[in-house]
Amino acid sequence: MIAALKVIISAALSGLLGLDSVQAGQFLLSRPAFVGPVLGWLNGCPLEGARLGILLELLYIDFIPLGGVVPPSGTAAAAAGVLAHSAGGLPPSLAFFLGLAAGRAFAPIEYRLRAARSSWNSVIEEQVKNGDLSLRRWLAKAMLFENAAMAAYIICWTALAAGLAWLPGLSRLYPGMDFAYSLMPWLGLSGLYFRFRTQIYKKA
Amino acid sequence: MFLRMFFRSFFIQAGWNYERFQNLGFAFSMQPALEKIYPDREKLKAALLRHLQLFNTQPYMASFVLGNMAGLEERAAAGPEARLKSLPGVKQALASSYASIGDRIFWGRLKPMTTQICLLVWAAGGFYGWLFTGLDTPVSMPLLLAGPLLGIAFYSAFAVYWRWRGLKAGYACGGEASCGLDCADWPRLTRVLSTAGFLMSVAIVLLAFGMLAALNGGSERSLDLALKIGLPLGVLALHRAARALGRSVFFAAGLLLAVSVLAFGIFKLQPFKLYL
Repeated sequence: MIAALKVIISAALSGLLGLDSVQAGQFLLSRPAFVGPVLGWLNGCPLEGARLGILLELLYIDFIPLGGVVPPSGTAAAAAGVLAHSAGGLPPSLAFFLGLAAGRAFAPIEYRLRAARSSWNSVIEEQVKNGDLSLRRWLAKAMLFENAAMAAYIICWTALAAGLAWLPGLSRLYPGMDFAYSLMPWLGLSGLYFRFRTQIYKKA
Repeated sequence: MFLRMFFRSFFIQAGWNYERFQNLGFAFSMQPALEKIYPDREKLKAALLRHLQLFNTQPYMASFVLGNMAGLEERAAAGPEARLKSLPGVKQALASSYASIGDRIFWGRLKPMTTQICLLVWAAGGFYGWLFTGLDTPVSMPLLLAGPLLGIAFYSAFAVYWRWRGLKAGYACGGEASCGLDCADWPRLTRVLSTAGFLMSVAIVLLAFGMLAALNGGSERSLDLALKIGLPLGVLALHRAARALGRSVFFAAGLLLAVSVLAFGIFKLQPFKLYL
């Protein structure tokens, strides 16, 4: 019961933090490096949360939200990863790869949410023409939908993780997953190093 | 008016849509200025509809355009309305210019620098648990949070400063298509950030390989040490190869996972750790 409550609170918090990525503020509170340790602390595994968060952050550095491109969601990745470990009972390595997939799979959902808002434009224009100049409720509606979508998404992935933990024979794959997981920091470091190396090289 | 516009500018991307991008957030942020400029409700309606049209730029740099448009609307309200004819053109020109500058500075440089700051703070606090995934060193919660929070503070200081400065600078030269572009030496700022980011990257990579060598210092067989240093180098090469082939980091991560699971899970090779 308490575990379920923790998942719901964590998912709601992820939804709120997720708003920071596009909708409001953009202080980077939605980045996995922050979401990971916070959710880890909330769920009793701060070290693993921080580790999952920073590793996902290092890999997600590769994606930049230029123009209308929807990058994979770092918030969804970190939240799904941490909860897959803490609530789903999966080892950190599998939780990490599950988080990686969850972040990638959230992009199409985000795309659909953005596309759905296109139809609001004509309604808002009509509303303004009719003398109602309040735009606040539309922004609130957009944020509410985003928040709810993220929270529901995280709960679904946690349920999936809990289901995976029951799969027979899955533990046979753990040594390989653990080894691949141990190489992820180096993959992330490569992205971090070459991002700036390329900038300096171009400048020269 | 400025303060209300400033706070509302934090919601510039709320309501982002594929038809008109940031139009809703932009109109919402412009509203305090428009309400002050146009006491007449019909004119206010017309102005709000003007700003509900397509708009897209880098969110932090949108303040320059907001300030500019507020200045332009104010001048148009005080003088001939014909001045408003230049509004869409100026708005579009500024949005494109600031998108290019903002993307380079914020997304391309400052954002990855927050991760670097986090890693360096953790390294200063003696925490390398992120680098060696099986290593369970005790670490305090304040240190775990200090890393990301210091990175966020550094980034947000830039973001908040430019949001406020942009609003002021844009308003001061409202109506000009090159408004505010000269209020900072953008190429120099970009170069400085690139250099700082590169130096931090080098420091982090050296620290990482230094730690790896130190943790394997007791290795009796040189082949072991070579393998444990060589593997991370191989991963770096794989990342570069994936990029060269136009594939994302997911491809490299997936390949590593598949090969590892095959080798250690299916073919039952003896797994080993990168450190002693």
